[in-house]
Amino acid sequence: MANILAFAEARSGELRKVALEVVTAARKLADATGGEVHALLVGAPGIAAKSDQLAQHGADVVLLCEHDAFERYNPEATSALAAERIKSGGYRAALFATSAMGRDLAPRVAGKLAAGIVTDVTAVELTGDTLTVKHPINIGKVIATVSIAGTPAVVSLRPNTYSPAANPKAGRVENVAPVGDPSATRVRVKEVVAGSSGKLDLAEAPVIVAGGRGLKAAENFKLVEDLADAFGNAAVGATRAVTDDGWRPHADQIGQTGRLVSPELYIAVGISGAVQHLAGMRTSKTIVAINKDKDAPIFKIADYGIVGDVFEIVPALTAAVREARKGH
Amino acid sequence: MTDGRRLAVVPAKYQPPLPPQLIVRDALDPEAVPMDVVFVGGGPAGLAGAIELAKLVKADNETGEGLGDVQIAVLEKAAGLGEHCLSGAVVNPRAFRELFPDLQESDFPFRAPVTKERVYFMKGGRALRIPTPPTMQNHGHHIASLSEIVRWLGEKAEGMGVNIFTGFPVASLVMDGERAIGVRTTPTGLMRDGTPGSGFAPPTDISACITVLSEGTRGSLSQAWMEQAGINSENPQIYALGVKEIWETKKPLDAIVHTLGWPLPNDAFGGSFMYPLTPNLVAIGIVVGMDYSTTTLDVHQLLQELKTASLFREYLEGGEMIEWGAKTIPEGGYYALPKKRYGDGLLVVGDAAGFVEVASLKGVHYAVQSGIYAARTIFDALKKNDICENTMARYDALVNASYIASDLKERRNMRLAFQHGGLYIGGIKAALMTLTKGAFPGGRVESNADAVVPRAVKPAEPFVPDGKLTFSKLDANFKSGNATRDTIPSHLVIGQDIPPEIAELYEHMCPAGVYEQNDGRLVVNQANCIDCKATDVIGPRWTPREGESGPKYRLM
Amino acid sequence: MKIAVCIKRVPDMDVRFRIASDGASVDETGVKFDLNDFDAWAVEAALQLKEKAGQGEVVVVSLGPNAVQETIRKALSMGADRGIHLQADRIPFDGFAIASALAAELKDGGYDLILFGKLSPDSSNGVTGPIVAELLDLACVTSISKLDMADGGGTAKRELEGAQEIVEFKLPAVLTVDEGLNTARYPSLKGIMAAKKKPLESKPAQLGEPKVKVEKLELPPERSAGKIVGEGVAAVPELVRLLHTEARVL
Repeated sequence: MANILAFAEARSGELRKVALEVVTAARKLADATGGEVHALLVGAPGIAAKSDQLAQHGADVVLLCEHDAFERYNPEATSALAAERIKSGGYRAALFATSAMGRDLAPRVAGKLAAGIVTDVTAVELTGDTLTVKHPINIGKVIATVSIAGTPAVVSLRPNTYSPAANPKAGRVENVAPVGDPSATRVRVKEVVAGSSGKLDLAEAPVIVAGGRGLKAAENFKLVEDLADAFGNAAVGATRAVTDDGWRPHADQIGQTGRLVSPELYIAVGISGAVQHLAGMRTSKTIVAINKDKDAPIFKIADYGIVGDVFEIVPALTAAVREARKGH
Repeated sequence: MTDGRRLAVVPAKYQPPLPPQLIVRDALDPEAVPMDVVFVGGGPAGLAGAIELAKLVKADNETGEGLGDVQIAVLEKAAGLGEHCLSGAVVNPRAFRELFPDLQESDFPFRAPVTKERVYFMKGGRALRIPTPPTMQNHGHHIASLSEIVRWLGEKAEGMGVNIFTGFPVASLVMDGERAIGVRTTPTGLMRDGTPGSGFAPPTDISACITVLSEGTRGSLSQAWMEQAGINSENPQIYALGVKEIWETKKPLDAIVHTLGWPLPNDAFGGSFMYPLTPNLVAIGIVVGMDYSTTTLDVHQLLQELKTASLFREYLEGGEMIEWGAKTIPEGGYYALPKKRYGDGLLVVGDAAGFVEVASLKGVHYAVQSGIYAARTIFDALKKNDICENTMARYDALVNASYIASDLKERRNMRLAFQHGGLYIGGIKAALMTLTKGAFPGGRVESNADAVVPRAVKPAEPFVPDGKLTFSKLDANFKSGNATRDTIPSHLVIGQDIPPEIAELYEHMCPAGVYEQNDGRLVVNQANCIDCKATDVIGPRWTPREGESGPKYRLM
Repeated sequence: MKIAVCIKRVPDMDVRFRIASDGASVDETGVKFDLNDFDAWAVEAALQLKEKAGQGEVVVVSLGPNAVQETIRKALSMGADRGIHLQADRIPFDGFAIASALAAELKDGGYDLILFGKLSPDSSNGVTGPIVAELLDLACVTSISKLDMADGGGTAKRELEGAQEIVEFKLPAVLTVDEGLNTARYPSLKGIMAAKKKPLESKPAQLGEPKVKVEKLELPPERSAGKIVGEGVAAVPELVRLLHTEARVL
């Protein structure tokens, strides 16, 4: 029987989606050996209200630490608390998300515990005494199977690899105290500046709508933006040809020499599918391609394709997506 | 033409002159990096020259009355040595033996000796085996990757104290009157509009007693220097374009293979090759003379078509193309050699001087050998403390007395025969020339520069790559490792008022997809450029750009 | 200000990797190596801090086989003052083992700042910097894209998902560098000449006991072609239905 600690990431008093993904993954791991999932929830007073959501996704216990010092991410106090809980609770493994916070927190915890750590993991498995993970290396061109020796093992999960699944458990809340004075730290997050409203980063958008040369002119990117807008949770990307021509900023370029993305849904509009572009998006879960050339290489990796005029199809798809998402 | 449509176009009409900034006569920066000898270009010629010179200096210093410290620099535009070098290659080891007398042939960076060779005549995708012509026999030669050879030479040079500077293209040759006094590198970190961006680094001057132009095929400085010095050749230099792929194959290949004929049109000069680096690592390529006769001949596409022939497909199918590249080859031969390859404080070596023997399509050993001769000339000049023209003239004497000149002379008219008659008649003439060791037809066959050859306007043959055996230019370019910064200023100098037919010619001429023709308008994707120099031969001028741009060949 | 920068020699990612015959490592034949980009930005940051202060020392540290000396030389040619090579037959995958060796070297160095790249694209873990901070009990800020130093500390910016954190820290500290902090300078010709004469010390690495082990490497499966839903606008309703019911992304 192995108990698993799941770090439930919250920001500004709200759970992040990755928190539920981590609890879901922890549940699977714990069930393999009949163990329990304990979710660690840290935040400013009021965060307790989120405990139930963790229970709904499989937390047997919610370790709750409410303190004003946790209003914003507090790296030193959070890592001290997590390390202390993991040690005293005798957990087999501690799971984090490979988010901006998790990337910072998990190695600190591993450092404090002198524990083995692998980050950005796409699968985690516990068989007998052995904890193994899948971890993409060399920008995803090679997949490593890595074993972590000793207890506890520290693992952070790549976002979007475990879909949050309902699995209600008791979620008994246990209050835990910070370690030492959580306000007396050498590192302090002074301020969180929200990004430009509604604009999702390519790295974390669940949906990406990307445009290529087939759009013919910079102003036609409006079609792509409208479609992204219809989804409500989509970011806009582009091919190198398009950013080279100055139609979109270079930061939007998806491909070998640009951003590497793997959203839930990738819609390629007027993109032929040069290898250099495919290298940046081929790990997307579902790929849709819209292109006038039925021989375009993009159709060879797309799950769903429509052959035809992007200037007719994309507005129709935008309208249909708006319709389908009514009530969201 | 009154209806605005042309039947034929002459590329030279739209080709700009050489940019003037390739030669500058400013004073060198007082802070110039002081060197004694600078090699411009870290290919086989430049590195062999640097190695031989370092060896001579070392041996001289061991006598106790030597020159002392001689600073030798090799400037290379690629990010790493060998990354802009491409050849077939089946290499004659002769010059390597002379450069490294203490090494065994097995120590050289070759992959395998040639044991079997086969030649085919292709007709419509079918292959007919023919006897190997004497000029194509390769017994005693070695299959190799020029990228690997050059990396190995670089290690040897560095081990002997040569300063190797990769990522430093030379923008200008600095001259004082008729004397070369150093070079100036390109700036780094310019934005597309020419303004300095973050990471900007200004040009650096390097002073040198002697500058060696080892730029390789269609060298910009070499052209500019010869033009300003009024040095010409009997015939203009002409070029071929080679496009090459490296494949990991399922089926092993045990022989080197050459073909003639299809998919080339009858009036084009060229052929194809397939060489096993290892039994399951195969180089395949096609070489086509750039004096081809239509606007839409496309060498990259010809290579893609070639691979669909069963002779090649049976090896490649199920395998994977892992690298792609292209390069021009100077193939004017003997009569296209510059009449002088030396000047005051300056020498021209290797492909930049046109040392390629076209019947066997070999140049690597001539490059190395000419580097060796350059080094011996330079060493003498440094010993005499005299770098004037008369001293440097020894280099030409060494070359002219060597197998470089005699090999090229023996096959002096072979390539030229094809500019007058195409494959069949040209082939018969070439056979006669071989039998008579160049005595037939006697004298010199005249030829035209590639850019002045008229091109018949012809619609393009449609070709749809399958992404497995055959590839688009964009996908091929990706396999060259090209990751040029997208925001650099264009290094290509385009002519005025480019008509649609010329735009189409450029689109098909460039193997890397730099040029596209969009509704008659020329679109230039300069970041795709892989420095093959085909554009400089018949199209827009190529100029040196930011260091570390271009391809990153590993096995070419 | 005394600054250490920990740098790594990494393979060029623009290639197709092959698995070596042991099944658990990448075949390095013909693979080109260079200074990790993130580490180059860390070196650049250190050089800028030193230049701004008008004094100080920038020490680069790298762990691995003798070939990493070439990588150290590159940092020296950018302008770092001296190099330390921690010898190991190969660069371990395990971030903890690397961090232990680095911490042992850096412990008594009297550094005000220890900089790292935020991760290396080969092992893709991004843990070495913060583990070194824990082992040395130093303040640590990861993935910074902006940095301002003040007396005894500094302020850094971290990119979050759709937001940014402004973080204050006290010296001495470990910082890991993200893209956007700066553009790394190219080594100049003069810098390359000067680097040949700069001190480079080489000594055995005191690697910690590995806690993680690569059992197996494999290439990701090829994606297989899906279906053409149809042609033109008429295919849109069917696509929306499939996205809803089959792919469950709508």
